[in-house]
Amino acid sequence: MENSPLTGWHGTLLHVDLAAGTSRVEPIPRDLLLGYLGGRGLGVRLLRGAHTLDPFHADMPLIFAVGPLCGTPAPTAARLNVVSRSPLTGTVYDCSAGGRFAHRLKAAGFDALRIVGRSPRPAAISVTPEGGEILPAGSLWGKSVGETVRALEGRGSVAAIGPAGENGVLFASILMGEGNAVGRGGLGAVMGGKNLKAIAVNGSRSTGIADRARFERARQDVMRLFRASPVIFGELGISEYGTPALVDLMRQRRMAPTENFRKTVFEGSGSYSGPSIRKAYGSKKDGCHGCPIQCKKSDREGAHLPEYETVSHFGALNGIDDLGSIVRSNRLCNELGMDTISAAATLAAWGEGRGRFPAADEVEGLLADMAFLRGEGGLLAQGSRRVAQALGKPGLSMSVKSLELPAYDPRGAYGMALAYCTSNRGGCHLRAYPISHEILRKPVATDRFSFSGKARIIKIAEDTNAAVDSLVACKFSFFGATLEEYAEMLAAVTGEEFGPQSLKEIGERICLTERFYNCANGFDAKDDRLPERFFREPGSSGEGIEIPPIDEKRFDEELRKYYRIRGLTPEGTFSDPGYLSRLP
Amino acid sequence: MRDQIARYAGKLLADRSALPGHIAFAAHDDVLLSEGHPKLARLCEGVLSSLSCLGLAAARPSLPFADFLVRRAGKEASRIVPQDTETRTFLHDIPFLRRDELGNDAPARIADLLGSRKGMIAEGLGIVAAGAVTVEQAYIHYSSIFHAAFVKYLLDVLSEGFRLPGEREAFEEFRRSWLRPLDAEGLAFRGAPLEAPEEILKEIAAVGRYTVERGLVDSFFGNISLRAGGTIYISQTAASLDDLAGRIDPVPMDNSSTTGITASSELLAHRRIYEESCGRAILHGHPKFAVAMSMVCEEKGCSVTDCWRDCDKVRWLGDTPVVAGEIGAGGLARRVPPVIAGPRKAMVYGHGVFTLGLDGFADAFRAMVDVENGCRREYFRRLSPKLAG
Ligand SMILES: [Zn+2]
Repeated sequence: MENSPLTGWHGTLLHVDLAAGTSRVEPIPRDLLLGYLGGRGLGVRLLRGAHTLDPFHADMPLIFAVGPLCGTPAPTAARLNVVSRSPLTGTVYDCSAGGRFAHRLKAAGFDALRIVGRSPRPAAISVTPEGGEILPAGSLWGKSVGETVRALEGRGSVAAIGPAGENGVLFASILMGEGNAVGRGGLGAVMGGKNLKAIAVNGSRSTGIADRARFERARQDVMRLFRASPVIFGELGISEYGTPALVDLMRQRRMAPTENFRKTVFEGSGSYSGPSIRKAYGSKKDGCHGCPIQCKKSDREGAHLPEYETVSHFGALNGIDDLGSIVRSNRLCNELGMDTISAAATLAAWGEGRGRFPAADEVEGLLADMAFLRGEGGLLAQGSRRVAQALGKPGLSMSVKSLELPAYDPRGAYGMALAYCTSNRGGCHLRAYPISHEILRKPVATDRFSFSGKARIIKIAEDTNAAVDSLVACKFSFFGATLEEYAEMLAAVTGEEFGPQSLKEIGERICLTERFYNCANGFDAKDDRLPERFFREPGSSGEGIEIPPIDEKRFDEELRKYYRIRGLTPEGTFSDPGYLSRLP
Repeated sequence: MRDQIARYAGKLLADRSALPGHIAFAAHDDVLLSEGHPKLARLCEGVLSSLSCLGLAAARPSLPFADFLVRRAGKEASRIVPQDTETRTFLHDIPFLRRDELGNDAPARIADLLGSRKGMIAEGLGIVAAGAVTVEQAYIHYSSIFHAAFVKYLLDVLSEGFRLPGEREAFEEFRRSWLRPLDAEGLAFRGAPLEAPEEILKEIAAVGRYTVERGLVDSFFGNISLRAGGTIYISQTAASLDDLAGRIDPVPMDNSSTTGITASSELLAHRRIYEESCGRAILHGHPKFAVAMSMVCEEKGCSVTDCWRDCDKVRWLGDTPVVAGEIGAGGLARRVPPVIAGPRKAMVYGHGVFTLGLDGFADAFRAMVDVENGCRREYFRRLSPKLAG
């Protein structure tokens, strides 16, 4: 039935023009929904045509997109993706975040919210089933994320930027009212550049499910797989300890980035391990709306506790073993609206450059300086690549495409090394997420010290995760479930048949679209590079585990394989300039 | 890639789940490659070329049970629904294509099916299974389908008897020559006290290997642990019992470290068993007759419909208690520890066997052999009227 109505989607987006002060509802063509699903895929597709604009250009869209599973009881599906072009990396950028905001945007009756233009004065947007309303937000400008969220509480769920986003910090984040971050890539600065302080969404529309019995069967299958997964519901897993459950594991595997990646073991990491945080703060389960895993942790007062990446980077990467300082740094970043990974990694690069890493009691002051561009903060606000360049030591930026690497040393997982480079948004662990099989043994284990087969594995995983980001579901679900069960839920919701293979084909289309945009902005193989340190210096070997430098020849060989598998030229570009025009 | 193929083709031979000479694999690196039985290898290449997966296995099973199940299935059926936990949890059900459905374009038909499933049965050809990430995964899915078909066929024959020409003869041949006696004769076990970590790791790896080499269990599913002082040494999740060297996690009993996040999904069950018993070693596997017999339930007028999850009775099969409970956080860890301390063995509905050793693995291993032998005897005792009929 070519034109039968699709359940799962509303089929509409809300377009808001901040310069004109107008908004309108637009239909989304059926072939875009079926071809890109929602979330990341739909957002990336909607960016087409604007993808070569400067990230701070007034016409650069900032897109919030939910997926067809959002609003259903599909586990971990109350998520959205924010898509634009990153001022930090210059690449197309999307960020997945959970929380009530996604759920409410869907309930307002929209699959996406597209914002363009620059408001003449500080503004906020209120989205309801009636459409968009632009509100003056002069009184909120300069306020922290928490204050902003509280001020708009009556209007529904809120996403807001802090002072960092207002001031154009290149790694400024967008925070959801419940504490979920659109963390990486500086999309908060794009929002600030539009003079947009906050968005509030409200509504109560439901999402249809075409076949409830089929949906419920698939949902039960997913829950059974979650319970069978030690990483998810095991007594040492993320449901119990949150992602800091990884602290002890990365220490044991000798791949915890330490002192700006000079070492890979930090003797003080035990002070911020999952069990240590639980002991010190009485961690309670917390998390995204409707998620059964509840991997976020909060303290006795309900304040959010940091994630693995954050504790490890404010900890080991800066040589700090003071849990109190780490927890305060995390809170401050969330109030100021800054990505914790890039903030901590920029401090570490700067610390190595000047010969001294910041002390535990200096970090908060430096973070505030960054957000308000005070003193050295003005430089630090530009991220590690620009800091290292300014110091005359470009090699000290531990980043790929200017995105600071998270807390998995690539010398300890070769698939991760490759995936950092092939990622379309720069040095990110979540695009192909090889940590899943190289370290956590899910769905099966691969040899972390081998490149064999990794190019193909990374390609398949990138496609898979692009589909996951477009459903939108949480990556952590796939420590237990597979695309098979999620495809079954999607089919039950939409009434259209999907399977892992068709989802991976959609994922491939999304990945190649992103790569095409990047190539249009001048990116090619020269940018798919790890910092030299990883090819020259060993990590911290010991306890029977050898962490040598990465074999550069073997790495290059596998990267070339990746280009061949992707159908790209040896330069990592497209031989067909008309590639996009043949896609839906 | 070729070394991976050789390795898993070897495992299919060693565990006798595939017919020698009728095994093929394909793998997708930057190029597509295949090995094994020429016709099956061509099939593998044909299927894999249109799938976004790394590996594919196709082999004719060493027993005709899968084909029998397809032929016994109703005319409208397109899948079989085995009741064991491996299927229930990971495969959900097993789709098949009949001989006439495969037609002239078997690769395309099979690829179509595998586009949404982990593995399938192609009547007359064998089991075809995909691995999204590794060649090993294709082997695991093959092995699971073989296991599921084996267990389902045992149960179907027990309840419905033989229906097809040649079935009875094939079953008798299976009993006569495929099944081999199980025992622990000639195996060396280290006795107490096992305290040195090196010794412990070696012993766990050795005993894990015994369980597979002796044909007691398939390689991939199952787990094993030993407690020494405040530490549980336990096999990792997704580790094969016959390949545990370097895949054993030391986990502190008091949860002071989360290094064991990679430990077996049954860590919680193991820990609770240690807390509630004086045992020091635990063995868990899925011996096929035990899995089948655990589901032979004679309760009358029972209101439970989800037996795996909701049955809270303790049934007895001889002197072995049988309880229900799903994997991991799904309830098995709650129901096994209270019943295992005394008999030092327990069965889980549709799933497998746990055994407990007092100071090492010798008694745990023998107990598992005894449970499976007992289940075999009981199975054939119950089947004898049908075999005679
Ligand atoms: Zn088991």
